[in-house]
Amino acid sequence: MAVDIDGLTRLFHTKNPPAFGRSSLRPEVVALDAVSLQVDQGEIHGLLGPNGAGKTTLVKILATILLPTSGTARVMGHDVVSDTAAVRPLIGIVLGGERGLYNRLTARQNLRYWAALYKLEPKAGWARVDELLRRVGLEGRADERVQSYSRGMRQRLHLARGLVNDPPVLFLDEPSTGMDPVAARELRVIVTELAAEGRTVFLTTHDMAEAEALCNRVTLIDHGRLLATETPRQLSTMLSRFERIECEGAADGVIKAVGALRGVSTVTSKGVSTRIEVDTEGVVAEVMRHLVSSGVTSVRVTRPSLEEVYLSLIGERGMDV
Amino acid sequence: MRGLRGAIRLQLQIVRADRGYLNEILANPFFAIIFLGVVRASGRNDLTSFAIVAPVLMTLWAMGLEISGNIVDSDRHLGILEEVVATPTPFGTVVCGRVLTVTMLSAVAVAETWFVARVGFGVDVTIEHPEVFVATLLVTGLAMTGTALVMAGAFVLAGGARTFQNTMNYPIYLLAGVLVPISFLPQWLRPVGRLIFLSWSADLLRDSLRAAPATDVWLRLGAIILLGTIGFAIGLLVLTLILRRVRELGTIGHT
Repeated sequence: MAVDIDGLTRLFHTKNPPAFGRSSLRPEVVALDAVSLQVDQGEIHGLLGPNGAGKTTLVKILATILLPTSGTARVMGHDVVSDTAAVRPLIGIVLGGERGLYNRLTARQNLRYWAALYKLEPKAGWARVDELLRRVGLEGRADERVQSYSRGMRQRLHLARGLVNDPPVLFLDEPSTGMDPVAARELRVIVTELAAEGRTVFLTTHDMAEAEALCNRVTLIDHGRLLATETPRQLSTMLSRFERIECEGAADGVIKAVGALRGVSTVTSKGVSTRIEVDTEGVVAEVMRHLVSSGVTSVRVTRPSLEEVYLSLIGERGMDV
Repeated sequence: MRGLRGAIRLQLQIVRADRGYLNEILANPFFAIIFLGVVRASGRNDLTSFAIVAPVLMTLWAMGLEISGNIVDSDRHLGILEEVVATPTPFGTVVCGRVLTVTMLSAVAVAETWFVARVGFGVDVTIEHPEVFVATLLVTGLAMTGTALVMAGAFVLAGGARTFQNTMNYPIYLLAGVLVPISFLPQWLRPVGRLIFLSWSADLLRDSLRAAPATDVWLRLGAIILLGTIGFAIGLLVLTLILRRVRELGTIGHT
């Protein structure tokens, strides 16, 4: 087991602005509420949730940056509270965003510093830095100051930094934020390679396509509580337990007849397209037969996307946190 | 040691890339001009050693404290502090390496002050006991690193500690007899001044400039080392406790 979390709770006290020279404690904010989760070695595990859901808090606890209020978390068998010295060499952290680098230093200088902090032998550490710069495609600009880098380049450098100690477990917090589609795709390739090397990747993201494309399993989190942990495909099944049918060019009478079939829950039409959702197992085949026998030739069976699952389980609360 | 070496190398690279870290060194000649000017104008040439030693120690102290705050402030601002804390190298080691680098660089103040004295005032300052002078500077730099460690802990806990740092410089200079002899202080205040390693450093450095034999050198160097070691111990303890506290509060990365 790479990550083993049991009943992890994290409360935050926030202070009101000082009034008459004194600040008062607000009620506690529950960032994580009795979270339990296991991640296998070599797994790419996605953590999906809106802003303020508790994703970063969870990553920071696992990375030994934050202490939990209660509960336990182990990384590669080591407790993140009582055995930080054993955990730290085993993990890589990429907290994302544009920050996290010395802007006036070059990429190579930044990475060499981190290699030293991870206590790599100078010769081995510097060779590792060169290898990582090649891997993330920054070799050609390794001796330029980071302040001249684009956001995507900085993200790649972040990833290289997270890998400097060759960690078996990697925590990536929104790693593709700000990357253009090409860079994001390259990142996915690298992450897939990392997992193929046997590393465990624990990834938080807002990008449904990314989670769907990369992750072996995805956990949905909101208000500090885990809603579901499944494979992306299983999560799709959770939303509409059964597949749905989309067709084009069906006559009104045919649509009406299909809508009257037992087990058909919803029929929605938009222009020439119609989507038929069912709530009973086995109805899909009957609907298909009915459509084809009625002369409808453009018919396909689809699954809901992860985004639909996400919005369905978490609700469309927009920018609210 | 690898973490320490990495921190030293990083600080040298940062200083090279950002000359703002050397502001205190740039300000040093102005202090030297003022102090030597006052001594000259008042006809108190016997106090020349004070005018020479004061700007050197002020630069060393100010740079040490400045960098300890700057490490925490800038690493926080750049979003690096959290990741540094999560590496196998203790944060205290990182602070030590970076502060030590800057305090050693502040030795440039010696050359600056000598230059100002010679060119500006025609005073040729001779170091009568160079071994005492060099040894005192070295142990003072180490003691400064210990003190800076305590301050770094305060900066991790509260950003407002920076204001406190800026206001405490001059009281420390006065209390430690850097600007004026400690014997000018009220009797009851002198023991307090002796608890600051700078007071021992200032006396020894001044004695190393005089022709008279420097007395109790080992004892006085020992006092600096002892106070510096106490600073280190307190600093490491404070930093450990404070890092634990900010991990509880979740405020490590707060700017």
